[in-house]
Amino acid sequence: MLPDAAGAVSARAAAKLDEAAIIKAVQRGDPDAFEQLVRAYDQSVLRLAMNLLRSPEDARDVYQEAFLRVYRNIHTFRFDCSFHTWLYRIVTNICLDHLRKRKVRREEAAIVETADGPVDRMDSFEEEGADADPERRLWNNQLSSRIQSALGNLTPRERMVFELRHYQGMRLRAIGDMLGTSEEAAKNCLFRATQKMRAVLGDLI
Amino acid sequence: MNCDAVTKALPLYYYGELTGEVEEGVEDHLQSCASCQAELERQRALAAALDSQALTPGTELLAECRHELARAIYREETPVVRRTASDPWGLFREAFHALWHPGIRIVQPAGAVAMLAIGFFAARFIPVGSFSRITGADVTPDAIVSSIRSVQPDNTGRVQISLDETRRRVISGRLEDENIRRLLLAAAREQDNPGVRVESVGLLKDQCTSADTRAVLLEALQNDPNPGVRLKALEGLKRFATDPEVRRTLAQVLLKDQNAGVRIQVIDLLITRQDPATIGVLQTIVGKEDNDYVRMRCQKALREMNASIGTF
Repeated sequence: MLPDAAGAVSARAAAKLDEAAIIKAVQRGDPDAFEQLVRAYDQSVLRLAMNLLRSPEDARDVYQEAFLRVYRNIHTFRFDCSFHTWLYRIVTNICLDHLRKRKVRREEAAIVETADGPVDRMDSFEEEGADADPERRLWNNQLSSRIQSALGNLTPRERMVFELRHYQGMRLRAIGDMLGTSEEAAKNCLFRATQKMRAVLGDLI
Repeated sequence: MNCDAVTKALPLYYYGELTGEVEEGVEDHLQSCASCQAELERQRALAAALDSQALTPGTELLAECRHELARAIYREETPVVRRTASDPWGLFREAFHALWHPGIRIVQPAGAVAMLAIGFFAARFIPVGSFSRITGADVTPDAIVSSIRSVQPDNTGRVQISLDETRRRVISGRLEDENIRRLLLAAAREQDNPGVRVESVGLLKDQCTSADTRAVLLEALQNDPNPGVRLKALEGLKRFATDPEVRRTLAQVLLKDQNAGVRIQVIDLLITRQDPATIGVLQTIVGKEDNDYVRMRCQKALREMNASIGTF
């Protein structure tokens, strides 16, 4: 093994050990350790919820419910899998519930009327690469609404697999494991999701 | 591979999810097929378009979420804690501490111990078969009616109700007091309230001189469903780490306890003494343990005892 690679492996191993120690401290009732654990993962949890649900209120709900479940059930975590997998199982289940409910309820509008006038619920989110140029912004808005519509065409499961693979960079095997399905099924989901999106966004790309 | 097969494989090719053989096939085909290369470009454009719409949580939103989580935990877990901290994580720490170390949850354990105390003292001081006569005005919200035995109206418009009730009472005393100690021993077995068990075992562990206290700690370590109680019992048993009966129990707990934190503490306790009888248990754990850290801990202990890691 190359020295750098060996270093990276041992760094990963050390990080894993650190995390195990933190989790054990949480299980022993150490509140600082719980805070550390939350802070290590909460940004990526919020990001996942936000990209999946595209609603700040729902993303907040998911965040809160997920970490409350962790808090209540950390004593049952037995290191059978990584904490990341355990946490993401919780988060993906909550997100899937939201997506399913939403399918029944209809997609929610991004603009809501308030006493102070119309408010864009997406204002709490920062788009990557947002542009100040008006023309570019117009195109971006158009693309954004088409992408929303393309994502809306996906089943909750397809949307989840796509999100985890494309935005979170997880491998399909890990995704299958997390969602309680096979790698093959996750592959099929990703394939169908891509096809559906290309069908909707075909003329823009 | 033909164009149809390659087109179908392109999304997975883009994400690097094809097997090596199929990936090579796609690459070979792409080198000589302009139409499939254009298809791959469209796949890349789709990904780039999606990337441009990725959302990142603003720092304000993240801060709000953390704040709300801390408050939610505080609201959920500490209805009776004296609130002292002002920042959300401070409140959260109090709540978390209260959940795991219910000593600061003044009202609930006190109430539960008091309920238990009623049973204990009532059995000792109230003669069996004695009844008291009270009026409706005497029934206060503090009294908990557990069952109504009979209802008898009379001719004057009054009704006589015979009932069993329990009443909350607070007993206080020093830990050395025999009655208090006996109440704590009973509270350590209080099935419905892990908070009371944690607190009681936590107090008993420092008074672990008598045989019945040690027996309660051993029982809690082996059978209590709450890991917090088991960990407290372990602390109390530390000073008996050389006692053969305690060591036998520790070995059994190491083999069957579901909580990795408890298993680690047990290992630490077992290896305080270089005991050949421990080696077999540690070797068994190395062979069957699925938790990396626990396994590593056992291996280290075996090495320190100059024992072989595995069994042959």
